[in-house]
Amino acid sequence: MTVLLAGGAMTPFNRRKDGSSLRDWCRTAFARALSDAALEPQDIDTVVFASESDFFTLQLNPAAVITDALALTGVRTLRVEGGGASGHLAVQTGAALVLSGLARRVAVIGAEASAAHLDAGKVGKLYSLSFDAWTDGLTGVGATSIYALSVLDFMGRTGATTDDLAGIAARNRQNARHNPNAHLPLDITAADVAASPVVSSPYRRLDCSPLSDGAACVILARPEDLPRSGVGRVRIAGMGAASDRVRLGDRPAPGQFPAKTKAALQAYQAAGIGPEKIELAEVYDSYSGAQLQGLQALGLAEDVVASERAGRFTGEGGLPVNLSGGLLGQGAPVGATGVAQILVAAQQIEATFPGLRPASPPRRALVDTHGGIATTCAVMILESLA
Amino acid sequence: MNFHLSLDYRVPTGCLEPFFEGLRNGVALAERCEACGRVQFPPGGVCGTCGGASLGWVTLAGTGTVILRTDTPDRTFALVRFDGAANAALVEIANPAVQTGPGMLMPPPEGPPRLFFALTDPAETPHA
Repeated sequence: MTVLLAGGAMTPFNRRKDGSSLRDWCRTAFARALSDAALEPQDIDTVVFASESDFFTLQLNPAAVITDALALTGVRTLRVEGGGASGHLAVQTGAALVLSGLARRVAVIGAEASAAHLDAGKVGKLYSLSFDAWTDGLTGVGATSIYALSVLDFMGRTGATTDDLAGIAARNRQNARHNPNAHLPLDITAADVAASPVVSSPYRRLDCSPLSDGAACVILARPEDLPRSGVGRVRIAGMGAASDRVRLGDRPAPGQFPAKTKAALQAYQAAGIGPEKIELAEVYDSYSGAQLQGLQALGLAEDVVASERAGRFTGEGGLPVNLSGGLLGQGAPVGATGVAQILVAAQQIEATFPGLRPASPPRRALVDTHGGIATTCAVMILESLA
Repeated sequence: MNFHLSLDYRVPTGCLEPFFEGLRNGVALAERCEACGRVQFPPGGVCGTCGGASLGWVTLAGTGTVILRTDTPDRTFALVRFDGAANAALVEIANPAVQTGPGMLMPPPEGPPRLFFALTDPAETPHA
């Protein structure tokens, strides 16, 4: 059975200063996604909502509230949460509901108010609870320090340097300059990254993805349940998901992401391909180094550091990565992040992405998302119908 | 509109209460798996090697060595392997002026029990 990504849309990702609310963003994304899929609200029988924290949204049971705000009644509605992977896992859940026959047309909506509702310090404190709140959390450690310890191990094993990390941080912001929905379209260089303040060594402010507001929506269905039999749409060719030990100290190699590898292998197997067939990737770059760690775990380069230095992951390279800008550039409203990653990858395949695109549209694209520090991993492979 | 929410949690520590009681006093109480003998600090309630759930408590010396270290503008955190433990612990460093090396668990100066680690200062180490 085939599940198609029948349409989708996202709001701009940024720090909202216009007084609009999370419900407004969801309505906007949903309406535009329906229009993109040439469907009407009554065609939707299931809503899967993704958000990470009720402390950000200040709304418990958000799926019911958002579904009601979309003027949908009598439909199946549920919420999916998996930390940073919430949005991606919501899309996988929606696809599973279609595959099972329980749903015909699913709207997956991800949203988060990570920036406008609370000050950055309090959001950071809440994010630190994404890890083991009892042991790591009680030390007062923040997400950036945990990622810093992980990338230090990775750098020690691979020879990656802070220059490599700064190059990624700058490139993704440059990629974002072409993306009208991006939070941080910055004209910066690696030197600017290296000159930004240290947050937690070796990470500097510009190595870190921003706290963003926004929403994204995709519509999933079988070809026979769509108005035009999926013409111009993208197929979900494979999905995978896997978990790792929560605490870095419980992992044999704290700089490696084995759960990501396992999730990717599941996705490759389901798609019937190997990583060499992937022509574009959206990789979870919550921090600059996490992009390299992710690419290694996904099997997308034999020597990820050498490939980075050779320009393989640029827009003109053999495997363009994060042409949207990734989390570093496009932004990261957590519940919406994975949904948007999947949306922009599908748009790349369709050659409709409104930002930087490769010379020719990819036939297959990989989307990689995780929660914690690659603790809850999700990988999806999208494929052209052409 | 503004909305103020203030929350004061009381969080039971369950089966890990002996671990937290140890931290209050600077004592490294580790778990030992009755099936495979793995010793883990910090504990987790399940053996990280064999998945066994029958675990007893053993007291470690509390000494350990920094594996990785990161510095923020006002605090320092590290992964430390405590002597006798198979896993590593994420700790706050009490004396970040000392760069790396061995050290010892110590009671936190204030707040809830937590992993607080003092590095051995070479300047204070007596020479043979």
